[in-house]
Amino acid sequence: MGRERYPKQSLGSLYGRIKESRILMVGAGGIGCELLKDLVLTGFGEIHLVDLDTIDLSNLNRQFLFRHEHIKKSKAMVAKEVAGRFNPNVKLEAYHANIKDSMFNINWFQSFNLVFNALDNLEARRHVNKMCLAADVPLIESGTTGFNGQVQVIRKLTTDRAEQSATIAIRRKLRRLSPSAPYEAHQVNPYTALFGQRAIFSPFGRGNSRLTDGSEIFGTSEDDAPELDHGEDSENSREIEKLKQEAQALKLIRQSMGSPDFARKVFEKIFSEDILRLRSMEDMWKSRRAPEPLDFDKVSRQASEVDISVAQKDQITWSLPEDFVVFSDSLRRLSIRLHDAQAKATDGGAPPVLTFDKDDDDTLDFVAASANLRSLIFGIETKSKFDIKQMAGNIIPAIATTNAMVAGLCVLQAFKVMRNDYTSARMVFLAKSADRVLSSEPLRPPKQDCAVCGVAQTRLVVDTSRATLNDLVEDLLRLKLGYGEEFSVNNEVGTLYDPELDDNLKKKFSDLGIKGDSFLTVIDEEEENPRVNLVLSISEKSLPVDSKPIVHPESIDIARRARKPLALPEDALTNGHANGIGSVTGKRKRSAEDMVPEDEQPKKKGKVVAKGDDLIVLDDDTSNGVIEIDDD
Amino acid sequence: MPITVDSTDEVATATENTQSISADEIALYDRQIRLWGVKAQEKLRSANILLVTMKALANEIAKNLVLAGIGSLTIIDHEPVSGDDLCSQFFLSEEDIGKNRANAAAPQIRKLNPRVAVHAESTDVKTRGPEYFTQFDVVIITEADFDTISSINTHTRLSNRPLYATASHGFYGYIFADLISHDYVIQRDKSNIPTALKAETSTRSVIAATTKKENGKVVEIVTKRETYSPIALVNSAPLPAEHLKNRRRLRQVTQLLTGIRALWEFQRLSNNALPSQSRADMELFTTLATAKHKELQLPPETLTSEFLRNFLQNMGAELAPVTAFLGGVLAQDVINVLGGREQPIQNFLLFDAEESKAPVYALHPLMSLVVA
Repeated sequence: MGRERYPKQSLGSLYGRIKESRILMVGAGGIGCELLKDLVLTGFGEIHLVDLDTIDLSNLNRQFLFRHEHIKKSKAMVAKEVAGRFNPNVKLEAYHANIKDSMFNINWFQSFNLVFNALDNLEARRHVNKMCLAADVPLIESGTTGFNGQVQVIRKLTTDRAEQSATIAIRRKLRRLSPSAPYEAHQVNPYTALFGQRAIFSPFGRGNSRLTDGSEIFGTSEDDAPELDHGEDSENSREIEKLKQEAQALKLIRQSMGSPDFARKVFEKIFSEDILRLRSMEDMWKSRRAPEPLDFDKVSRQASEVDISVAQKDQITWSLPEDFVVFSDSLRRLSIRLHDAQAKATDGGAPPVLTFDKDDDDTLDFVAASANLRSLIFGIETKSKFDIKQMAGNIIPAIATTNAMVAGLCVLQAFKVMRNDYTSARMVFLAKSADRVLSSEPLRPPKQDCAVCGVAQTRLVVDTSRATLNDLVEDLLRLKLGYGEEFSVNNEVGTLYDPELDDNLKKKFSDLGIKGDSFLTVIDEEEENPRVNLVLSISEKSLPVDSKPIVHPESIDIARRARKPLALPEDALTNGHANGIGSVTGKRKRSAEDMVPEDEQPKKKGKVVAKGDDLIVLDDDTSNGVIEIDDD
Repeated sequence: MPITVDSTDEVATATENTQSISADEIALYDRQIRLWGVKAQEKLRSANILLVTMKALANEIAKNLVLAGIGSLTIIDHEPVSGDDLCSQFFLSEEDIGKNRANAAAPQIRKLNPRVAVHAESTDVKTRGPEYFTQFDVVIITEADFDTISSINTHTRLSNRPLYATASHGFYGYIFADLISHDYVIQRDKSNIPTALKAETSTRSVIAATTKKENGKVVEIVTKRETYSPIALVNSAPLPAEHLKNRRRLRQVTQLLTGIRALWEFQRLSNNALPSQSRADMELFTTLATAKHKELQLPPETLTSEFLRNFLQNMGAELAPVTAFLGGVLAQDVINVLGGREQPIQNFLLFDAEESKAPVYALHPLMSLVVA
């Protein structure tokens, strides 16, 4: 009788193992709250949960462990407190922390029987996936968006990685709509108009000339920069002269911030002058509708009757006069804020910055109204503030029911993992179909050509104060593991060694910044029959001086790639993050220029630099203030 | 220079249903309104729902509906909280043992969303006549035997109210729906082939189709109607013809359908008791299951003793991940039905958590064909 009766009855001998188990749950949000409830009620013995986030009002429609009085508190801490009451026999440990913190190292991951990923963030997911593979702990991965959801079991050498969870797919789709999208895209749909308007944040920042000419939005990425150099030299200098004038004009506008004319000046620059200039490039408008600039005086007359409270009506699509009123009112509010921030700023500190935040109404109003004004100019459908918030903030619809279903399915798969029954474990999807609500497939063996699962993993114990890169390259890789001449050793910063980059061989691990709990990737570049990528997870340890400084405690059989050598793909687990390989230190014999990742290049003046996946920094050093757009 | 807006229609429709939900509610329900829209949220907000028997599955359903923002939830349960109730229920704690189950859960349910009125009743639902059910927009009955479901279904038919019935036994469970006649709308890209107003299946027909322009695309708004049967007829109904005439599909039909029918029959013969693991009960249950399997025209070899053993082993147990899944599916269907969108369950869903399967069969007596 009592608490244990039903789990014992249904689970039989498995229940004993569940009671003794130690479980890690990463993420205490939508899926996390549901998952924690299921785990606690089922009686998993010890559950650790990690979440960096705090509770927000918009979480309360589905994260049922949280209530109004918990807003702004740590999700992990509140979840522990509330779910702990569901079953006092379960031991709970909560961390209000980032799972990528160094305290959560491979040894720590190894202390768990099973890990659940209940994250909405691709980067953290990849990190957990990588840590679980390195620690050889089974991982249950899950994701939801709207009515869709999926669950997958990931186990080293047993299954392949979640290739396209619903969430991941959605995020990728959004990323394709990033500001570095081709210039031609800029009048296609409201997304592109919108991203444009986020860039127009420049009136509050140091701004730069190119941001407000017709190409401000899409023409400022790295890709488009070389266009400047295409013409004759004289044309080039004319171009540069024009840019200077632009910069000057913008500077004047910025200086007028706070004056009664400010809204007019910004408006006329962005929605009239720049549009007229764009319109004058007739070639562009041969096959499409030319943009129609807006007239400040005319629109402001039309807007004289509109009350500023229209900004709160986020469900309706505003009219042109309403867009105008929200535009000028939000501009006023933002000017005051920036002014106040500047007044408070101390000398020598960073100049004050206004950042786009979907939950900051002043910035959202400005972006929404400007996006709509721009849409009207280009003949694009306008959107409600509610819809624009979703596009600008990358908001993914989320409901309690989908999360409840997916969390339940996660625990059901966990039962199979704990029985070591991988043959009946399934990858499960919620299906929207009249004849079933689930679809499932058996787990697949790792694919050799998948960047994540088609890798070999092994662990090294390294005395980083003594070991040199040469010890790794010659003793371990060539002598012990049989690598030939052509291979490279890389970490998340870039390439440490390849046959033409041997400067680092003499250097010690510590000099190269290779620490414990980090990863190195060995890419075999032999023409014939190359090995799959080898991921080395480094454990740091002081080893006796008379012993070898690198110990490889386990034996490993590295499979051969079926296909051509892989360039390190965008989402290579082995590389932590996109963009692959840059040179860390030392001179390369080969030209490395083209391999340097975008965000490693020195930021050029007046550029919109796409940083990572989602962060856009408008960077310019001519004035005081920069706008960062972070669409978290 | 003049600006023309070519989406005036949409601006007009968007303006009509402006802000009748407060800004606070939109902020709270933001992530779901983005999925089903403000109109569906308004319908949810005015819905009154009855939930019968407050056990683990009902905990999940109550949680999901109250979070979503229904108007009111009435929970009715005449039994006291037992120690076993603590296994998979999260609205209860040790000190609630002995209290009425509905009364014990209600305060915790209220805390989930203060905007929802939660009423607790400690009477036996079987004492309620048909008029009682007219005050609800949806009736959900959990963990009941066949006779109880059937008698309440008679009442909901008389008062023209949609009914769901659901139960779980450890790794197994089902959801039954009798929505009588339910109209819902789906939106889809307009196809080149015109949408005919006709029957799509033996239970579903298209009753209206209009178009609108959205983002330069032509979107079709299609209204469909699903027609249902009461559980008394469903329990003896054959599998749909597309299964019966296809041996491969027949072999894939879950044994759980047989299991649930056998269980209902067993309860009828044994004064509503669940089968125990005694030899006599197991023999009777096996006999009943074999007969039901045959009645369903399923191949004899697809009913295994392993399944029957597992099923009986799980009788009456509540497992949190299973009730979470079933409660999620059921609440989602109720929300969509109230909002008049998405294909609803038609009409018998079976969940086998061991097999990771959840098929839905349309089980209707042969004579009941749709009149469009």
